Amino acid sequence: MKYLCNVDRTVNGKRRALLRAAGLAALGPGLAARALADTPARGASTPEIVRMWTLLSGGDGARMRALVEEFNASQRAVRVESTTLKWGEPFYTKLITATVVGAGPELATIHLSRLPNLAGGGVLRPIAPAELAAVGLAGGDFLPRQWAKSQYAGRTFAVPLDQHPLVLYYNKDLVGKAGLLDRAGKLKPIEGIDALTEAFRRVREATGKPGMTMESAQSSYAIWRLWLSLLAQQGLPVVADGRFAYGAAGAATLGRIAAWFNAGYATPGMDYPASTSQFMGGNAGFMINGVWEVPELVRGTEKGTLGFDYGIVPLPKLYGNASAWADSHGFALPANGERPMTPAKAHAVLAFVAYVARHSMGWAEGGHIPAYRPVAESPEALALQPNAQYAEAAHNVVYDPDGWYMGAAGPLEAIASKFLPAPLAGQLTPADALRRFEAEAVRLLRKRPPLY
Amino acid sequence: MPARRRETMPALLMLAPFLAVFLLFFLVPAIQTFYLSLTESSLTRTSAFVGLANYATLVQDPSFWASLGNTFYFALLTVPPLTILGLLMALLVDRFTRAGPWLQGAYFLPFVLPISVMTLIADWMLQPSSGIVNHLLGMQRAWFADVHWAMPMVAIGTVWWTVGFNMLMFLAGLRNIPRELYEAAALDGASGFALFRHITWPQLKPVAGTALVLQLIASLKVFGQTYIMTTGGPYNTTRVTLHYMYETAFTQSDAGYAAAIATAFVVIVVLLSLLQGWVARRLGGSS
Repeated sequence: MKYLCNVDRTVNGKRRALLRAAGLAALGPGLAARALADTPARGASTPEIVRMWTLLSGGDGARMRALVEEFNASQRAVRVESTTLKWGEPFYTKLITATVVGAGPELATIHLSRLPNLAGGGVLRPIAPAELAAVGLAGGDFLPRQWAKSQYAGRTFAVPLDQHPLVLYYNKDLVGKAGLLDRAGKLKPIEGIDALTEAFRRVREATGKPGMTMESAQSSYAIWRLWLSLLAQQGLPVVADGRFAYGAAGAATLGRIAAWFNAGYATPGMDYPASTSQFMGGNAGFMINGVWEVPELVRGTEKGTLGFDYGIVPLPKLYGNASAWADSHGFALPANGERPMTPAKAHAVLAFVAYVARHSMGWAEGGHIPAYRPVAESPEALALQPNAQYAEAAHNVVYDPDGWYMGAAGPLEAIASKFLPAPLAGQLTPADALRRFEAEAVRLLRKRPPLY
Repeated sequence: MPARRRETMPALLMLAPFLAVFLLFFLVPAIQTFYLSLTESSLTRTSAFVGLANYATLVQDPSFWASLGNTFYFALLTVPPLTILGLLMALLVDRFTRAGPWLQGAYFLPFVLPISVMTLIADWMLQPSSGIVNHLLGMQRAWFADVHWAMPMVAIGTVWWTVGFNMLMFLAGLRNIPRELYEAAALDGASGFALFRHITWPQLKPVAGTALVLQLIASLKVFGQTYIMTTGGPYNTTRVTLHYMYETAFTQSDAGYAAAIATAFVVIVVLLSLLQGWVARRLGGSS
């Protein structure tokens, strides 16, 4: 449940060296020099220390560590000290509690879906356009959708880093045996939930292996993400005007997901690592997961450990449209209560943020779609494989609805993660699971947004 | 009365550290918690005084009552075995003069483990595909994801973990029983179970009463085990009251309501302990 990317991965040496070289090459007259010039004269021997808390682990964590090291090596005015904390509820609880007493870090990675909660609750400090301009950034540098998600009450509260939608992975060997590939070896288009169910069934029958795998144990967030996507495909929000708005489609849709597990096309009760290793081990035809598993597949292919060819497509259009849940990482500045940061510190923080944005090609190799347009729209990014296979997904993403209780590992997701997986293991009926979910979550909808 | 004063001053001096800690870390926070329960508050800020509104919500909150039911279920599963096993272990340790100390060490050892280690061990042993329990039983059951088994498994882990402490309490009680009683009874021809029934048990009753009350309170305070082993699942069937309070305060930032849960829970635990003490005394007095 708490894992976005939990499989231990490291950036391989070669790529890391390349990244470092790229970082040094980009240094030149760039922002590091500007950071040096703008920092008050404290001498190069006493750099401005920026403490960063990050929730990025696994492959994402290794990439962010590499970026931090390269940044620190690229100049001497600012030194970023990064601490990785357990992602999910514990991370946000710690960020909120530390920040309200003024003991938070100067910089934090967050999910943009949590902005109404964090910015609205007073946990974050707004970033002024002038502060961004001082490090050479402007709103127009970022993809509009992500930039919009970084705003709260008309002000900027985060600098977007990426976007990571839910996609459909497939094992070409198994799916091929089930006759689901075209002549070019690509997945034949699947449209409609019946067609996808049929695809899962055919893999199961042709190979004897599960048609599909996804995280499905208790406290899994994946079911919520898929359910949200499929409701959006029917034009239905989960919450609207402070009420649950999915109606009868909620149980029906959850029932369609549960049916895959009940019929044996997928194995219920798998936690995140178990579900990904089922796919990586060549034991499932499809996997529904976020793009953050891409590097593991790339690495397995490079090392020759994967044992099968794979492909990735955006989540198919199963109902009226092709909406797919997505979230974004972003950088935010904790407010730290009575201890606001000095302008010099804020400048140092944003210098690092700008550096990461300019070097987010390395981040794209983590499967994410970069939010910084000069990188996202560069020929290299557009040609990057396998990212190009699912780039289309970016046009149909749907975020968690706005609301103080929404967002990654937020209060409502935490409740949903308890009840939504239950029908998959046959423990509750879909209607019963949603009834219990609503009974507990309705208090959140009625409550005033907390000011932390 | 100088003599009395001479006794009062040192007594107060010796009590002072305890009183200070008690005031600072129990009484004052308890009063603050009660005040908090009368407000609408986030983690650090109070936005309104709402009187008894949180309590009015509480009595109609199915999640609270369900969590209370889970807490009592856990107590039911742990208090009797912990007390009875503790007693049996103490008798064994007391009986075998040579192996006794070894047994005592073995029984007490799990108690020294931090909760994270204990839950890790339990989790490994109960893994669906690689755990030793499923291996021995020839099953693939996901014990902590099973509605019927999750709580009993947490209870078994807890009993294994903490029974050593009760054993020590009973052992202390056993060692306080004058040996002459046994010798006299042996001269009269009593042996085996008769010795236990007529000498050991009556002498041990006050200890058993204390052990029961302490154990009941300890079991009602359960949080760490279910939080780590089951995260309250599947679908909240193992979410105990303190876990619900934690989620309300920290995940949902509703400190006022969480304080109401805490206050109501303290009242329930105190009432139960008093009731149990009263019953134990009644039973003790009638023999």
